[in-house]
Amino acid sequence: MDRRKALKTIGYGSGAITLTPAVVGLFHSCQNNSSDFFPEYFNKNQFFIVSQLMELIIPETEIPGAINLKLPEFLDGYISIIFSEERKKKILIGLESFIEVSLFDSEKSNPNKLTNEDLDFQLSKYLKADLKKKNSWKKQESGYQKALHNKNKSTKLPKEALAYGFANQLRSLSITAFRTNEYIGENILAYAPIPGEQRGCVDLMETTGGKIWSL
Amino acid sequence: MSQEYDAIVIGTGISGGWAAKELCESGLKTLVLERGRMIRHITDYHTANMDPWDFKGGDKTTQEIEKKQYKQIRSTRYAVHESTSHFFVDDNEHPYNEDKPFDWVRGYHVGGKSLMWARQVYRLSEFDFEANAKEGIAIDWPIRYKDLAPWYSYVEKYIGVSGEKLGLPQLPDSEFLKPMELTCAEEKFKNEIASKYDDRLITNARVAHITEGTKPGLGRVTCQYRNRCRRGCPYGAYFSSNSSTLPAADATGKMTLRPNSIVTQIIYDEKNNRASGVRVIDSETNEVTEYKAKIIFLCASTIASTSILLQSVSDRFPNGLGNDSGELGHNLMDHHLRLGASAEIEGFKDRYYTGRRPGGIYIPRFVNLGGSTNVSDFVRGYGFQGSAKRGPNNGNGSNEAYGPKFKEAIQTPGPWKINLGGFGEILPYHDNKMYLNYDKKDKWGLPTVTFDAEIKENEYKMRKHLLQQIGEMLESAGFKNVQTRDKGYYYGAGIHEMGTARMGRDKKTSVLNKFNQIHSVKNVFVTDGSCMTSSGNVNPSLTYMAITARAANYAVKELKKMNL
Repeated sequence: MDRRKALKTIGYGSGAITLTPAVVGLFHSCQNNSSDFFPEYFNKNQFFIVSQLMELIIPETEIPGAINLKLPEFLDGYISIIFSEERKKKILIGLESFIEVSLFDSEKSNPNKLTNEDLDFQLSKYLKADLKKKNSWKKQESGYQKALHNKNKSTKLPKEALAYGFANQLRSLSITAFRTNEYIGENILAYAPIPGEQRGCVDLMETTGGKIWSL
Repeated sequence: MSQEYDAIVIGTGISGGWAAKELCESGLKTLVLERGRMIRHITDYHTANMDPWDFKGGDKTTQEIEKKQYKQIRSTRYAVHESTSHFFVDDNEHPYNEDKPFDWVRGYHVGGKSLMWARQVYRLSEFDFEANAKEGIAIDWPIRYKDLAPWYSYVEKYIGVSGEKLGLPQLPDSEFLKPMELTCAEEKFKNEIASKYDDRLITNARVAHITEGTKPGLGRVTCQYRNRCRRGCPYGAYFSSNSSTLPAADATGKMTLRPNSIVTQIIYDEKNNRASGVRVIDSETNEVTEYKAKIIFLCASTIASTSILLQSVSDRFPNGLGNDSGELGHNLMDHHLRLGASAEIEGFKDRYYTGRRPGGIYIPRFVNLGGSTNVSDFVRGYGFQGSAKRGPNNGNGSNEAYGPKFKEAIQTPGPWKINLGGFGEILPYHDNKMYLNYDKKDKWGLPTVTFDAEIKENEYKMRKHLLQQIGEMLESAGFKNVQTRDKGYYYGAGIHEMGTARMGRDKKTSVLNKFNQIHSVKNVFVTDGSCMTSSGNVNPSLTYMAITARAANYAVKELKKMNL
């Protein structure tokens, strides 16, 4: 079954997301069985989790969400050609830490069993945390990176801090993917491939209806 | 192909294009040599109409680019993307050596860096031409502002320069087309600075863009405000050799353009005390050919022209053609940068702009211009380039952390921010140099270039002053979260390398005379950045154009008088 068709059939959209574990499983099997997309960078399971997370970050509204826009596919290609080996390794460690903490919090043992509620809970924990908590994670993460840099192999992974770093990075990469998307760029944001004129100070609403220029 | 010409022009960039145009239009049968491949105007700008989503990485610096242009991206990452990297040389294929760090940014193709340049054009002023003599630094320029002023006008009328008339002695006005508009935030900055300072001001960047009407060349029309200039402009709206000077030269029927032609040396005729021609390696077949001409214009770019002269050894010139002074390769200058300031600007939430302006704002030099502007601990000055724009909103607050509200937020504009970068003058120091390494050769068996240059006390003191001043200016304008930065400058980062075959009055201390002729080999003219006696603090390309046009017209007159 085509995963995108499945999404449409079950009316996955309109804001708030409350998917049951069974439905997540359905997506997973769709992807495993019939998706013709082979990620270059992530493995299939990682790609699945990343896709679900991106869909939570950029859900279907009146505008298509991350999965329908194929933002995870873009991200996979983007990381594979833009990121250095070091950054690639770092994002994988972050993702694995994220999954591990998710399993711990949800008392599950298999990543395939993680539900959308589980993932939503994790994103909320990291991205909606107060500033103090965020700063403490940031400090732990940079301490870890420093230790790693100094080749201190016995350094213990601060898993939650690394998971926070990953969530934050995925959020920012989702923005990049969204704004680099052809459909969004040409139809949703204000698109002017050949502006033809330049004016320095105009009314935002009159000019673009409050949207940013896509280029 | 005939091997005898009236003139040979080496290089097709900013200077070579102008030399080709002026010489051909004067009726000289001219051979124009370019070491790189052919780039045809419009036809060869294959990325010109591509959107970010047409590139796999969204038009960013990919790992492949990181490997290919691994030296150039150290300071030019902002310009080397999926859409433009084909215009930058492969650093692995074209190696060079660094006694001290040097970013050598190069474009080996017809048009050279005139395709990839930042298009900012400013005249040097009398302050610049007099400074060396007044301060007893290096040697005096053999020309003054008045010698170049009519030639600035001449080239500006042809290329199209947009900007605002100011009447400043330290930044003479060009022949302007209308300026591009300032954003609301820039207007505010301009007004705040005007009300709080009487020694400095904000103006529109002066850029080589047509903002009204048309200009000569291959259908050059008004800027369409796409800001995709570095990919080559299908409208010819900014000046490049490809859209402007080379088509003019071609239209005369006098030009033979030969790409893939690496000049290895200028051949010196000892009997007649003149250059007789050039030796060329075909970069693809390695075939060696010699071409003869009455005059030679060396416009291969500062480092390449100097290399060619250094490679042109003979019994008369064992240290390189015209190098009686020993100054060839020395006095290497650039502009020091990689420092500046940024701030946030409150308000204007309901304001925005149309068009992607390929320019910004400019703050002309305001120090060491006499009286109260003089600073005791360094000489010369600096300017700033930048802009105040409204970037996208990346979602704030916990209800915009992710999800539907976040998705809405990231489609809207964020706060206004201002960002300004300083450009400072570097003095000509004899020990800042480039030289040839014959132990390390390139794939054509030619010696590689080694750089050995760094900024010194005057520049470091200037940087300190520059940062303090720009921080104060942003604070005094009432902007928030003012942050100054100094990322540390190293040579080449300004992509304004110059001075290694300087002009001067005395052949004992300089390579070129006041008309850019090699003192002791009068039929060789060098008119690119290597001719500069001091660097000023403004972008130099306009000066290279004016100097080239002036020298070419002088050369034609001298030829007619049978003096060459």
